[in-house]
Amino acid sequence: MLFLVDQNKSFTYINLLDEVNKETFYYPYFRTDNIYSFFKNFIIALTRDLTIVLIDEDIKSSELSIDETLINQIKKIESVSFESIDSLIDKVFNSNSDIIIYTSGTTGQPKKVVHKLSSLARSVRNGDSYNNQVWGFAYNPTHMAGTQVFLQALRNKNTLINIFKLTRKEIYDSIENFQISHISATPTFYRLLLPFESEFSSVIRITFGGEKSDVKLHQTIASIFPNAKINNIYASTEAGTIFATKGEYFYIPDYIKEKVIIKDNEILLHMSLLGKADNIKLDEDFYHTGDLIEWFNNDKTLFKFKGRKNELINIGGYKVNPNEVEEALSTIPQINQSVVYGKSNSVLGTILCADIVLNNQITEDELRMELSKILQNYKIPRRFKFVEKLELTRTGKTKRL
Amino acid sequence: MEEKVLEIINQIRKNNNLDGLSNLNKTDNLRDDLGFTSFDLAELTVKIEDIFNIDIFEDGLVNTVGEIFQKLS
Repeated sequence: MLFLVDQNKSFTYINLLDEVNKETFYYPYFRTDNIYSFFKNFIIALTRDLTIVLIDEDIKSSELSIDETLINQIKKIESVSFESIDSLIDKVFNSNSDIIIYTSGTTGQPKKVVHKLSSLARSVRNGDSYNNQVWGFAYNPTHMAGTQVFLQALRNKNTLINIFKLTRKEIYDSIENFQISHISATPTFYRLLLPFESEFSSVIRITFGGEKSDVKLHQTIASIFPNAKINNIYASTEAGTIFATKGEYFYIPDYIKEKVIIKDNEILLHMSLLGKADNIKLDEDFYHTGDLIEWFNNDKTLFKFKGRKNELINIGGYKVNPNEVEEALSTIPQINQSVVYGKSNSVLGTILCADIVLNNQITEDELRMELSKILQNYKIPRRFKFVEKLELTRTGKTKRL
Repeated sequence: MEEKVLEIINQIRKNNNLDGLSNLNKTDNLRDDLGFTSFDLAELTVKIEDIFNIDIFEDGLVNTVGEIFQKLS
């Protein structure tokens, strides 16, 4: 039974069982671009109830305010002896590990959220009807959405085919060769599959997540995958998966009805739905998500997402905090002042821009080089404008998308 | 116009530590041949829009260099 295929390398569940059993060390802070190693290390930690920190392959320790020596440091552990892959998976889903995920904080640096497996696996379903699914894995594995797909597939011993960061042709080849049945991805990922050229009949479920998408995109995706049911999903780093769509609109599932309130069109989540975080501000036990909705019907049961209340900018499914990028810019001596904002874009939904006032000359190339030393790639603005002064009233802080 | 597009494409490639190209072929695929990611494509649209005032991706994605030239001519 195949667990994962990545760049023509296949890993079976038997490989996984064997390697997880005999391993005598793991990495609490593991930075890697190898997805199998990443998942294996994650599972090793879960089977031993050890703390695991999920960090991006291009993250800098300074971005997380942690000591660089912690990253990829080995920690010794005991080997274990699960007799079957089923007993290993049962242990994973009963793990008591602290799972730490970083998210774009509303001020300054990313904040860490500590989850238990029970909150991450809240929306994971299992049973006979979930057998034999083949998932196109199209998210960053360290982020909430990627974790959700990974756990859903693992619970049902499904196969994961890594299609994250592949070219359009490679993605279509993977869908055809491995008869992928399920894909969950951001609208940006699906936009890259356009335009329609031919149908792919193996796909029976398409999930959109992470950012707002449009009707035209849905229609074209439906014609590429004619056998697929299409839905949307709302998940956050603070709480995991919360809502899915019924047809075109989102609804609040019964089992969390008491725990979700809508106030001034903003979604508020009860603290019992959240992971633990240092600086999540609560308002009478409820967390303000900053996500704004619009009711579709008078009964107020169906809704659509309208935008965000706080300043986080959604760049192709990645949330960027403009304050963090401005802080990074301010460490470059040639820069006097800067303002970072989003501009709507037909590919990513929103593209990150910076207006900059210089003290001394620096080229755009040099600037990007400096930023790439201190920021992850998706946080680096893609459009720089060198200006005499910032026009704060028109394009400044209050005008960010 | 074609030279300007080449300049923009090379700029983006340079930022990704890819070698500059001496010329573009109309059949070059932006993703498969030029190695552009969605972030690179977004940057390409903005840079082209700044100069030519046209959003090349407005009616859906373009795939090849030739399609960009067509939109701009």
